[in-house]
Order: sequence, then C-alpha cells, then structure tokens
Amino acid sequence: MRRAFAIALALLAGGCGGTAARHPDPGGSTLRSTWIDPQGDGSLQVGAGEPLRDRDELGSVQPVGPELARFVHLTDAHVRDEESPARAAFLDRLGAPFTSTFRPQEALTVQVLAAAVRAADAAHPDAVVEGGDLADNDQLDELTWATTVLNGGLVRPDSGASGYEGVQAAGEPDPFFYRPDVDAPRHPGLLARAQQPLTSPGLTAPWYPVTGNHDVLVEGEIAPTPRTRAIAVGDRRLIEPRAGLHVTRAEARAPRAVDALLAHGLPGRTVRVAPDPARRELPAAEAVRRLRAASGAPRSGPALDYAFDIGARVRAIVLDIARRDAGSGGLVTAAQTDFLRSALRAAGDRWVLVFTHQALPSAAGSASAMHLLDRDAHVLALVSSHTHRNRIQPRRTAAGGYWLISTASLADFPQQERVLSVHATHDGGAVIETWMLDTAPDPQADTARELAFLDAQGGRVLGDAGNRQDRNVRLWRDP
Amino acid sequence: VSQAWAAAALRLRSGRRRTGVAAVTIAVASLLLGTAITVGYGLVTGFERAANAADLPDVIAQFDERPVSGLDPTLRALPNVAAVAYRFEFTHVPIGAEGHFTPNGAVNIVDPGPHGYAIVAGSDVGRAPRGVVVERGLARAWGLGVGDRVDLAQAGTFHVAGIGVDPENVAFPLATQAHVWLPASALPGLTGGRLDRANVALIWLADPRRADVTLQQGRATSFDIGGLRFLTRDGVRVLHDEAAGIIVALLAAVSLVAVIAAGVLLSARASAEVRRGVATLGVQRALGFSGEALAGGWALAAALVALPAAATGLALGALIAERPAAALLEALNALPPGDAVLAPLGAALCIVVALVAASAWVPASQAARRAPVSLLRGAELAAPRARRSGRSRLGAGAVVLGARLAVARRGRALTVVAILATTGAVLVLLLALASLLSGLRDDPSALGRRYQLSVAAPARDAPAVRRIPGVLAAAPRHTIDAAASFALQQPVRLIAFDGDHTPFEAPPLATGRRLRSDSEAEVGQGLADALGLRVGSPLAVQVGERELRFRVVGIVRALEHDGRVAYIRAAPALSAEPGAPGVIAIRLRPGADRAQVARAVAATTGGSPSRPSTATPRSRAFLGTLASLLRVIAIVVGGVSLLALLQALGTLVAERGATMAVLRAGGAGTATVAGVLAGAIAILVVPALAAALAIERFALGPLVTGLAAGYADLSLRPSAGQTLLVVAAFAAISSAAALLATRALLRAPIVEGLRSE
Repeated sequence: MRRAFAIALALLAGGCGGTAARHPDPGGSTLRSTWIDPQGDGSLQVGAGEPLRDRDELGSVQPVGPELARFVHLTDAHVRDEESPARAAFLDRLGAPFTSTFRPQEALTVQVLAAAVRAADAAHPDAVVEGGDLADNDQLDELTWATTVLNGGLVRPDSGASGYEGVQAAGEPDPFFYRPDVDAPRHPGLLARAQQPLTSPGLTAPWYPVTGNHDVLVEGEIAPTPRTRAIAVGDRRLIEPRAGLHVTRAEARAPRAVDALLAHGLPGRTVRVAPDPARRELPAAEAVRRLRAASGAPRSGPALDYAFDIGARVRAIVLDIARRDAGSGGLVTAAQTDFLRSALRAAGDRWVLVFTHQALPSAAGSASAMHLLDRDAHVLALVSSHTHRNRIQPRRTAAGGYWLISTASLADFPQQERVLSVHATHDGGAVIETWMLDTAPDPQADTARELAFLDAQGGRVLGDAGNRQDRNVRLWRDP
Repeated sequence: VSQAWAAAALRLRSGRRRTGVAAVTIAVASLLLGTAITVGYGLVTGFERAANAADLPDVIAQFDERPVSGLDPTLRALPNVAAVAYRFEFTHVPIGAEGHFTPNGAVNIVDPGPHGYAIVAGSDVGRAPRGVVVERGLARAWGLGVGDRVDLAQAGTFHVAGIGVDPENVAFPLATQAHVWLPASALPGLTGGRLDRANVALIWLADPRRADVTLQQGRATSFDIGGLRFLTRDGVRVLHDEAAGIIVALLAAVSLVAVIAAGVLLSARASAEVRRGVATLGVQRALGFSGEALAGGWALAAALVALPAAATGLALGALIAERPAAALLEALNALPPGDAVLAPLGAALCIVVALVAASAWVPASQAARRAPVSLLRGAELAAPRARRSGRSRLGAGAVVLGARLAVARRGRALTVVAILATTGAVLVLLLALASLLSGLRDDPSALGRRYQLSVAAPARDAPAVRRIPGVLAAAPRHTIDAAASFALQQPVRLIAFDGDHTPFEAPPLATGRRLRSDSEAEVGQGLADALGLRVGSPLAVQVGERELRFRVVGIVRALEHDGRVAYIRAAPALSAEPGAPGVIAIRLRPGADRAQVARAVAATTGGSPSRPSTATPRSRAFLGTLASLLRVIAIVVGGVSLLALLQALGTLVAERGATMAVLRAGGAGTATVAGVLAGAIAILVVPALAAALAIERFALGPLVTGLAAGYADLSLRPSAGQTLLVVAAFAAISSAAALLATRALLRAPIVEGLRSE
C-alpha cells in the first residue's frame, strides 16, 4: 500500500515536471558536470559542474590573456593484466601498504584509459603528458595495451586463455575479492565484457610519457628477477598463501623478502592458468625504449629525461625519477640535475612546467634540482602524480614562486585527468587555468568509476579527489 | 437528491426496530473488525515501530574484543555509512535487584551517542554518574522503576536511570539474557572513562536498501577482524521470528481472516435488509419516488445507521484487544501502535460505511428498476419461478414444513447460511489454531526434529552416548549462524550433521532429494525464496573469513529460523569454523524412559540433556500473555457467531409469524410449532456447518498458514474432536434458539400473528 502511494506520488511529481536527470558532459569536463554522491549512500550521480576559482597566493587576479599552451595531464592509468599470475592480489586484504594490489575495478583499466583518451581529445590540448604508471606491473602486454589505447587502434585486453581467468571470477570462493557476477553491486557479465576487444580513437595531440615506478618495477616496487619473470610467464597462480606466511611491510626489505618468498616456488595453494609469453616482465631500459618509441618522445638514453616546447612561450621539462632497483619513491641523480639546469637555461624566457611522476620535492637527491627551480623566475609549475590525489599548493620563492600540482589517477577514484591551460596576463605574468576531466561517458568506464568509488581502500576514503581548491582553479603568477 | 433524503428518512422512521437490529449487527461485526485490526496491525508493525523508535542500527557487527581506534577508520571507510557507535558487551554477568537475580546478564558499556534502544521511562545513560538503563522486559519481570538499585556483580551497585526497549532481540525473560547499559564513564577504573575497546559496532546506513554494498566492502576489509559476524535488520527480524514469529504471523493472518469475515457479515446483513424491505420499496415507488432516489436513499439510510454503529464497534474492539496485544508486543520488545492504530481504524470505518451503503444500494437499485406492481407482490428480487407440480422433494410433516418455509425465501436463506458459515469457519479456525500452537510449543517434530534429547557435549562423546541403553542413535549436530555470501544481508543457519541427517532431523522435502556429499546442501524454502535458489543452484555461505560453496540438491519445508536454513555435512562446516557450537542429538528407542536415558547421558558426558527446542517458547509468562490475547479473539468471534445465529433465527421466526399463526389457529400444538422451527433452523444450520468446515479446511486454513509461514508445512485442520465440538456448539445454539423462538411464538396471541402478514 505504501509502495503504491509512493509510486503515485512519484508519478505525480513526474507529471508536474519534476527535475530532469542531468547527463554527464560528453567530454568529461567537470566545468559542466561531475559525479557526486549527494545522499552519501555510495551511489554516484551527475551533479553540477565546478566553476573555476581564483587562487592568488602567487599572483594577483586580473583579466586573462591569450592561451599560450594547453596540456592534458593523464596519469596513473595502471593498465593491468588482471589475469597475470605475477600479481600478488591476495596481499590486498592486509591493508596498507598493499591496498593497490587489488582493485574491484581492475579488469576495466583499458576501458577507463580509452574513455580518458576520448575526454582528453574533447579538451583539444596541444599536448598530452602521460604522467607515469601507464602499466601496472611492468609487463609487456600491459604496456602494449596502454600505448595502443593512447595511439589508437584495436586492443585485446585478454591474456592467457580466452576469457577471464582471475581472482574475480564467480567461481572463486575467496570472499575478499569483489566478484561482479555474484557480489554487490552485481554486474553480471562484466568480466566477460572486460575481455572483449575494443577500439580506441587514440589521442589527437602528441603525447609525452613520464616514467612511473610501475612502468619499470614489478608491482612498482622491485626490479624483475628470474623468479618473478618465471612466475609471470608461468602456468601457476597463487590463490591462497600458506598459513603463517609473513609478509614484510617495509619497502626497503621488499626485494630480499620477495626473493626469499619465491625461493621454492609460489608459497601456498596454486591453480593452473594458461601461460602467456606476452606477460613478460620488462627490464627498465626496454620499458623506457618502448615508451619512447610509442610516443615519439625526444632524446635517447636509459632515462626518459627530455624537454619539449609548445609554441614560443611554454616549455615542458620531463624528468624520469623512477628508481630502477627497488622502491616506489623518486630519486634525482646528479646527471638529471645537470639536465634540468641545461633545460631551464634553454627555455630562455618561456614559461616552464616540469613534469615528474613522484613529487620532486620529496624525491631523494632532489635538493639541488629544487634549488635550481626555486631560483628560476620562469618556472610556473611542478606537475606530478604518483599519490593518486588532486592537490595544488603554492611554493613561494624569491624568484616569484611556482605551483606544485598533483593529479589524481585513472586507477582509483576519482579517475580524473587534468587540463592545464597556460595563459599570459596583461602585466607579463601568467595564469594556469586548470580543471579536471572525468572519463568520457562509457558503460564500462562508468562501472569502473562506481566500483572505484565504493572501494573501501580506494580514492574515496583517501580523499584523492581533493577539495575544490585542488581541482578547477585559476593559478595566478605575477611576472 | 431531495427524494433520496426523503426516502432515507422514511426508511429510518418506518422500521425503528429493524434499524436497531441492523445497527447492532454492524456494531458487532465492527467489533470483530476492530479487534482484528488492533491485533493484526499492532503485531505486523510492532517490530518496525520499535526499530524506528529505537533507531535500531542497520548493521550490528560483532567481533572479538579490539581497540576502537583501530577499527573505527575501517568502518567509517565503508560506503553508505552514516554513523557508527560501539559498545563492549559482557555476557553472563550476575545481575540482582529487588530480590531477583539472574546469572545471565548482558551488560553493555557504551559511550554517549546513539545506542539503538528507545527510552520509554527515565533518561538515557550519561545523565547521572551511576545511572544505568535496563531493558523493559527486565524492569517488568522484576518490577523495577526509575531510581531503583541494580547490582552488577563486581562493577558495583547502580541505580536505574532509564528503561529502554531494545528491538535487537525479544525481551527478557523470553530471551534468556537480561540487558543493561551503563556508560563507560561509570567505570573509570576499567575503561579510563572512555570506551577504548569494543566487541560490538552499531552501524547506521545512509540508505539501508544498499546494505549489501556496504557489507561487501566490509567483508573485503575485514581480514584481521577475528570472530566477525554481521547482523542486519533482516537478521534481527529472523531472531525475533525465532522467538515468536510464527505466533505473530498466525495471529496476524487470523486477524486478516476475521477482517474478511466481518466484511462478509456486513455485506450479507445489509443486503438482506434490503431484500426484506422490497415490498416497502414497491409502496414508495407507487408513491412516486424514482428508482435512483430510492436506491440512493436506502444506501444513505444504511450509511447513517452504519456510521455510529461501526464507530462504536470498532472502538470497542480496539479497546478490548489493545491491552493483551500490547502485552504480547512488550514480550517481543516491540512497541504498540498507540495513536497510529487510529489510521487503519478510521480507514476501516470508512470501508464499513461504504460497504454497508453499497450492499444496500446494489440490491435496492436492482429492485427499484422493477415495476412497482411486481414489488408489491412479493419480497424476492427475482421473478418467482413456476411452481413444479407434484410433491416437494422435502416431503411432508412439521419439520419439513419448517424447512420449506426457510428455503422459500432463497436469497435470504442463502444470506443466513453465508453468515453462519463464515462465523463458524472462523470458530473452527481458532480451535485449529489453538491445536497448532500447542503442537508448535510442545512437539519438536514441528521443526522436523526426530530426536528426543540433546546434550551440549563434544562430538567425541557421541559413540559413548550411542551405547547407552535406550538410545537408538546419536550424532553431533552443529549450527552456525552465517550470512549468504552473495547477499550478505540475508541470514543463513547452517545445520550440520555427521553423515545422514534424516534419522535426526528431516523436514519434509518439497523438491529435489536429500544431500549425499560434502558439497551438497538441502535448503529451507524460506532461504530458497529469499535467495531465489532452485535445485541445482549454487549456495555460497560466508562463515568467518571463509566462503563455503554447495550445490542445492533439495528444498525442504523447514520452520526453523524462518526456513532460512541449510542442511549440510559437518566436515565443511567444521573446516570453516572448527569451534562451531554443537550438541549431540539423541534419538530414543521406542518405549525408552526419557528420564532414565537423560540421567545416563548426563553421567556419560557430564552435560545436562534437555528436550530439543520447539518452534515457540515455553515461557509461562509469554504463554499466559498469548492465551489472554487468544481468549479475547475467541470471545469476540464466538460472540459474533452466536449473535449472528440468534439474529438469523429471530428474523426467520418474525417473518414467518403469520404462517405459524395459521398453523396454531388450525390446532397445531407446541410440538408442531417446535418442529416447524426446528426444521427451519436445521435447513439453515446444517449446510452452514458443512460449509464452515469446508471453508476452514480448503480456504481459511491454507490461507492463514500460507500467509504466516508459506515456507513450511503447517496444518490448520481441525481434529475430529474439534469438529464435533463445533457441531455440538451449533446444535446447542440452534436448540436454544429454537426453544426461545418457540416460547416467544406461543406467548404471542394468534390474532397478532395473523395481523402481521
């Protein structure tokens, strides 16, 4: 009876012209609409867009001049071969620092990246900076899928045997993993759809890669070893670690611990999986070589350090500070400091944006590099990722200061990328108009966002979306 | 319209006695309705009302004791969580007060904030430094009031600051544990004044309908939380149902049937009134009233009579049922509806008036369409058929004459039969219900249990128990209260036996077959309905950190745990929860002395054997409450039946007064008159009785059991004794009615009877 009454009321409301449902912006621009959870019940709805707000910590607000350059910063896609036996998804249940070893939406990383590409294209940038961690586990197939999505073409995001063969299968009786066919929220057939080939339109602008730790290290932590390589291309997958297995949480001890753990094969109950040589773990040099080849990034050498100009007024400098041995933190070498010095000098009076994966100020050995940047009056922003969090802070220096910008990931909620539009101001200063892009509407990517939002160890809980001051803002910089 | 008002006024003025009788009938039927609504509405909505008043959490998480600071971030990280509160529950705490004592107290230490109970007297914890809240059941059972002292073992002596209703379970003493809440600040030595450790978390959700999403994430992040169990509102409801759910459901269903019966009574009576007055209609038509005006006027008159009568009856019924229903609700930790019952009663009043008006309008408008001449000729609505030549099939004699007189007015006779059959069916239903409840209370086989004793003892004692003389079979029986892994908000009880469970517990198989291996399960119909399971479906159950998978091979009609049970083998259950609680189920040889075997079992195992639990509690207080409620319903229904019968017979005698006067004028004596009346009564009562039994057997009984527990096999068939009892009651009432009518008839002058035609 109550239900009938409610339905009648709803019909009446509809008949009386109740509020129409919003639609997401086709280009994902959060200036027009974005995803919100108004009731706090874990279900996302399309909400109003977020207009640009002025941040004047480093400069005064004034009329915006002509656009000098427009970038899209797209980062931490973590394209994952979720069927790979090289993964350690079972560690996820232990909580931090292993929370990224499994994600409920992990089977959809290729689809999310493709939807991000469509959103980036809709923003019409001059360049797209891929901020690192394009691959998740330093595997050949992951990097190949990801670069194909960025360049456009047909991708078959399925490894091993045809069809899904991973921890989220309905037949897997491990309740610590979300299984979309049987667990709430149910998405029957999602895994099968995730394995289907898809065609990406590719980026219309040139793209420039930044090396992330997951691009060159297994699980973003350790360099591939003969044992990890063998597991990656092998036919056994660990499904239940042996009882009493101790797993170190100390990053520094990870390489030795992993090596010891795998000394006698996989430590616990395993199942057979179809082997796939495309799951090969890449040496860092090969990963960099492939990124460079796919993107057309300039320069050569083992590290992806380079610079490129957008027009006559803006220069971008990319520093490769991902470690090659072990550890997820950044490392700045003396050679890179020298490269930075020369790149800054070459920039002349161009405005400079520096891109790294890890935040440069927190990287080991970064003091000299920061000193260089702090002294340079043309440095406008340091743009990083790695933390998966939207954040913008001013760094005040004697030379005028610059903005420290971090962009959220495509792997975790809010699964956004960032537009950076550099404008001149009439007094010779500059302003960066920056706003977030949601992934373009797509059934699989939308499902991925829903699952990423629900993830109790994911970006919603960690506040990765940041606050309004970290998203759609004008960042003013006096001359 | 004015003609309709005039017709209504004429109708009311012209037959004051008839109007009075109609009003009494409507009032009595409304009395039944008011009783049924008060009981049914109170019982059906009692849990939700208490849950809402108490702000019962949507999820109650129980776990091994752990620091709040470590757990809180995990819980608040779950999606859809609106609020979280914690408590530390100590069980088996000795509690004493006012000369009473229980060793089975559940003392909950809480911080300020929501607690999931409703304060019904006094104030919440925290206002007074040594003030506690006691549950209403405990306060009632021990006569505690605000300000009284309560001793909580080593914690010391406190005073009652408030009395609360906690719908998390039924009330003490129906529940074995007595609940008390005290603030952490009252135990500074133990808690540091703040609840820093907890073993229960209360979780409120932004959208309770999305509890499954929250629980799924909760499971995924609960790896190191030992002993974790989730209890959702569905689970709490099942807990309530285990205590008395079947009783509530049966009573609610009976109430619904009573509502239907009242409707039948009302419409039949109102319709009969019109049929009796068809001749008057003819007169009024002849006087120039239009057919529409007459039908409307008669409907209006019926409504004007019905309104005060129904209001009185409904109010009286509500008053009669209110106290016993409230007492039953209190025992269940539910809240009575209070003023909220006025809404359904008001709706019922409107419906009664509308029903009576419609029941008058329909036949009146049919009759009014006929020519006035034909109306004046007779009272029947249909044109009389041509009489068949020859003797009537009923034969001759006074009794036969009475029967022929009764059936001569077919429509009216059918109405009387319908009224008698309906009330009779409800009476039979009540008797059958009493039998069923008594069986549920005393007979474990109602739950499909075939063992006569159980003892809490380790499984290894089973072989020794089997060797005890008088024991036919003994096997460990384990129960695990878990959740459906693919629908975590749905509770599941796993019942596990070593080997074949059917010698010990065999609810009837609805479909499929019995389980044969560790990977198979028989599931209750209730569980199958809740999860959409069929034979061949996978069943996944979350037990601790493990997920057990089975294939459903059979669906059984189990009553236990609302039918949300699964019978499995012990091995998988114990692999997931090695310490699963269990007993040894003991089946006795035919003729074995239960007491003697129990003593031997106690000596062998060191445990205390007991009879297996039944579907309803054996608590004397609760049963007393239930009995008083049933008594009220039975008295009302019985009273309605008796009145309906007497009234029907009275009407018959009154209508046939002229015929009887002619008989008496012709020299008929008392015996002849009594014979005529007995025949008239018999021709109405006998088919009504047969119809009553048939209605109960084929309609009301299945309807009530289906509504109450469609997932189990319950029978509401009256026993032979009960059938005979109803027959005897009808016979007694009929005899009494015949006697009274005969005496009344013989006292009246013959001339008066002759004048009445």
